[in-house]
Amino acid sequence: MNDELYLNERIDVIATFGEGLNPCRPRRFRRGNGREITISEIGLRHPSVKGKRTLHIFDVTDGAADYRLEFDSERLTWHLAFEGDHYA
Amino acid sequence: MLEMYNTETPLVMHVDLNSAFATIEQQARPMLRGRPVAVLNRRTEHTAIVTASYEAKAMGVKVGMKFKEAAYLAPGLIAIESDPAKYRFVYKKLTSILNDYSPHVVMKSIDEGVIDFHGLVNQRPMIEIGHEIKQRLKNEVGRAMRCNVGIGTNRFLAKTAAGLHKPDGLDEINHTNLRTTLASLKLTDLTGIADHNQSRLNGVGIYTPLQFLDSDQVTLQKIVFKSIVGLQWHQRLRGYEVDDRVFDMKRIGRQYVLERRDLTRIQIMQRLHHLCESVGSRLRSQNKVARGVYVYAKTAERHYWHASRLCQLPFYSDKAIYGLAEQLFWQAPSAIREIGIHCYGLSDDDEPQMSLFGDALAREHQLVDALDTINQRYGDRTLHSADTLDVSNFIRQKIPFGSTRYL
Repeated sequence: MNDELYLNERIDVIATFGEGLNPCRPRRFRRGNGREITISEIGLRHPSVKGKRTLHIFDVTDGAADYRLEFDSERLTWHLAFEGDHYA
Repeated sequence: MLEMYNTETPLVMHVDLNSAFATIEQQARPMLRGRPVAVLNRRTEHTAIVTASYEAKAMGVKVGMKFKEAAYLAPGLIAIESDPAKYRFVYKKLTSILNDYSPHVVMKSIDEGVIDFHGLVNQRPMIEIGHEIKQRLKNEVGRAMRCNVGIGTNRFLAKTAAGLHKPDGLDEINHTNLRTTLASLKLTDLTGIADHNQSRLNGVGIYTPLQFLDSDQVTLQKIVFKSIVGLQWHQRLRGYEVDDRVFDMKRIGRQYVLERRDLTRIQIMQRLHHLCESVGSRLRSQNKVARGVYVYAKTAERHYWHASRLCQLPFYSDKAIYGLAEQLFWQAPSAIREIGIHCYGLSDDDEPQMSLFGDALAREHQLVDALDTINQRYGDRTLHSADTLDVSNFIRQKIPFGSTRYL
């Protein structure tokens, strides 16, 4: 059975805000260990509600691994919640 | 014979996401695209597969198969645990797209919906609308998303058309191609005909959908189905609408396959308590009260045990539901592998209840409403019984397949 890594890691994110169906687009993020990852595709963006708090979930890839980024719209923070790169 | 078929222009469209959960996972995680993927409710080898991607299906993987068996058939099969929030989002997107075309949209389940175009004026060609819906799904959800679109004169033929060319098909069944289409199918390809009904039909010499279509109404009604169901099949196959019905909610329930076989009775009761809280929450979300509780257990030897109790007064609190379930469940056998509970005897919560215990019921109502308000504000299970504190890691909210009531 394949492995997946669930995390709760605070990250720095560069995102652009524009128009269209997905106005917020994370472009690049830096992990706690200093590693920088450039996002090549946003797979899906969906909201996740925790009570009256909304988290925006971005499932993204850099072409080598899949990541899940969570943007807390109340606290304006980004977290890395998941990494899956075990498909070789 | 042609005049017996519904010759009107097909105006019912069925839209069905292909291998929905697996496709959504492949959309969300691009690294999964083109690979065999199985979506499970729990990532263990003994869990049944909820959805398989088309790549996995091509290797022989079927829905309902245990992951361990499937992994033999499909080396490299990737197990993904289901993610209800994601599927709910896509369901809402699909619903929103379908609602743009007609006020008469019914979502049949989390991954399929029906649009009825009857009564709309200046209608564009249905095929054109079908292609547009496919494109909008890609634009508004993601480029890996695919759906089948079926067009027919009734819901049954539209659904049958949607299943003709998976994945990503678009077909229409009308009175001119009805016979040729049915000739290419097996009886069990028809929605509503599984093994049992197939045996009934075989019993009177009906072995193919075409023979089914050509059979007379009396045979179906008096001999095969022995009820009005036979008449409905006679009309349904000819393209007349008999399925435009809304069924009342009869019961609300949940079940859970135990994560281990060596749990103590107290641990099993904690899990039952958790299910009761979940059922109570669903009951109240539908603004219903119940009068009956039904519990069941399946043992490792596949023995089915059940017990139920119908009360005079309606109830709707988690405490009341668990109180009844607990009393019933102490008679359950040992070596349990699955437990379940449902509430029945449902009625609307706003019906006035005259009772000697009116004050007590009103107080319970207020308390439960206050708890629900807190949970709605701060998130599910912010407040719950201390008895179920350690159970949430095992029992998670899953997507109900057949119903869209809780989405």
